[in-house]
Amino acid sequence: MRHIGLTAILASMLAVSVARADTIRIGAILPLTGPGALIGTQQMRGIQFAIDQANAKGGVRGNKIEVVFEDNQAKPDQSILSFNKLTDLQHLQVIFTAYSGPSLAMAPLATRKKVLLVNAGAQADKLATASPYLINTLPTIGDEIAVISKYLAGEGKKKAVILYENDAAGISGRDDYVDAFPKVGGTIAAQEPTQFGQTDFRPALLKLADAKPEVMLVSITAALDNMAQQYKQLGLTFTVAGTTFFQDPDVIKDPAAEGFVHTQIRIEAPPELAAEFKAKFGVEMEFFVRQYYNASQILMTAMDKLLADGKPITGENMHDVIFQIRKFQGLIPLEFKTNTATVPLDINMMHDGRDETIKKMNTD
Amino acid sequence: MLALQLLFNGLATGCALGVVAVTFSLVYSTTKLFHVAHAGVYTLGGYLAWSLSIHGAPFVVAFLVAIVVCAGVGALIQALLYARLEHRHATHLVILIASLGTLAVMQNIIAAVYSPNILQFSLPWASTVVAGGGSIRLTVIQVLIVVASVAAYGGLMWFAHRTILGKQMRAVASNPFLAEITRLRPRRVHVYVMAIASAVVSVPGVLVPVDLGLQPYNGVTPLLTATIAMIAGGVGSITGAFVLAIAIAELQNLSLLIIPGEWSIGITFFIFLVFMLFRPTGLFAAAR
Repeated sequence: MRHIGLTAILASMLAVSVARADTIRIGAILPLTGPGALIGTQQMRGIQFAIDQANAKGGVRGNKIEVVFEDNQAKPDQSILSFNKLTDLQHLQVIFTAYSGPSLAMAPLATRKKVLLVNAGAQADKLATASPYLINTLPTIGDEIAVISKYLAGEGKKKAVILYENDAAGISGRDDYVDAFPKVGGTIAAQEPTQFGQTDFRPALLKLADAKPEVMLVSITAALDNMAQQYKQLGLTFTVAGTTFFQDPDVIKDPAAEGFVHTQIRIEAPPELAAEFKAKFGVEMEFFVRQYYNASQILMTAMDKLLADGKPITGENMHDVIFQIRKFQGLIPLEFKTNTATVPLDINMMHDGRDETIKKMNTD
Repeated sequence: MLALQLLFNGLATGCALGVVAVTFSLVYSTTKLFHVAHAGVYTLGGYLAWSLSIHGAPFVVAFLVAIVVCAGVGALIQALLYARLEHRHATHLVILIASLGTLAVMQNIIAAVYSPNILQFSLPWASTVVAGGGSIRLTVIQVLIVVASVAAYGGLMWFAHRTILGKQMRAVASNPFLAEITRLRPRRVHVYVMAIASAVVSVPGVLVPVDLGLQPYNGVTPLLTATIAMIAGGVGSITGAFVLAIAIAELQNLSLLIIPGEWSIGITFFIFLVFMLFRPTGLFAAAR
């Protein structure tokens, strides 16, 4: 009993110290190296850009914000180590996450420690219910797949095959295709797995092509460029369709990916903001930069309200206040009816090195 | 037609694996060392060629420089690490651990210098499709992998059987004690073997990443397959290692005709497990 009382006093001291400190520290566990590094770096820049902008204006109610970045190489085991380091040693209460496997691995710990995990990049369906302390600022793969399936059926593409990554996100995507595509009148003729980071897709592509599909539904998150090049080398002509994970600059500019279609969360940056970002980092403000920039703004809005109400910035309070505010208008109109936000969604097609919107839809 | 395309893809993959198996077998049969760091040399070759290539060096130059540097690295590993450990009477297990450590160090240095991201060569000619018979489609680099690998295998066979140094290598492999007392200087031969094996393994080490991209941990899976090919082919048999490596790659590819992809590796190695139960000395053991 004495032990519980002491813990409660220490916890309240910690919360108060966070609330009164001049610097609010948050964490970000992202793949900064490894096969996911291209996207992870975009995510890191999105957070840093938003935080730098806020700090330049005085921070959140006079409190500067600092982000502690940890590299998890998109690996669940490394993510656990990073999570424990940030929460136990540095006592952080809010942490950005990315990629499904790592996010799902950290979710039980977030529940136990009441630390808010903010995901603006991973989309496995299980993320929607993995933890009350895991909020997703983008739809799950299932939401996107329902939309792309509806679009493909409308285009008369009814016979499909599935190429999926043999991990949490890939399998989740495969299961969603198997569930959603028949609902719009389609059939799944074959499916083939690949490993995360694998770059030889030829055997899988050949086997899938043998089923003579009209469309190949793709659920892979790495080495998409290799897949596109081998698809072209093998002379395949069926439509290739996927989700927001297709938003890879190297793939978009690769002529091999000409005609690839995918769902795309509609999140645009105003031209002056995009120009400011390009001036700072020397690159375009890509999709995942915008996602994590937007998620950072959501967090700062929530922090602002907590500080205005005189409440400490704890994981629990941040979670509650996000549902209290519910509707956010950052780069994208977004609503938290559940832990996973409802957002507008486009259908994009890769053409001449650009990713062009061909139809506007919604996850609802 | 699917079977034929899978067969040709398997041939390209298998030939590259065959060179890894042949060179690994050459080192093992001569030095009796399980040279796991061979995977690191294989990976290093690709990164060296990539570095030179992106800095404007012609691919042929980058390729040749990678081969020479890898030969030097192999010789250094033998002279500065394995030979010293053997001189201090280290057991083969200790040397295996040292080799594992060398592999880990090489991979980590490569990851630190180049990042663990997938890197691609920018060589448009490599991905040009060479139309084969019917609807068979192979890229220039796949054809080059097959040609270079068969040439490497043939060259090694010729070297081992037709040159003085090759005969010395086989003599040392056959009876190190007798080689010592007949002044064949086995330690010097070991250095030559490591240099030659490292140079040759850098051929697929460079060409395969041109096709599939570079990653710091690329070498481990080929080495694992090569080890199995070496054992199943008959330890000491260059032809056995080469043929079995191709057979493994073909089985993995062609098995897709009847089983889902996630089972192909498991089923392939299960077949070899059963095979080894009936012929534990390997397929080509008698023909050494």
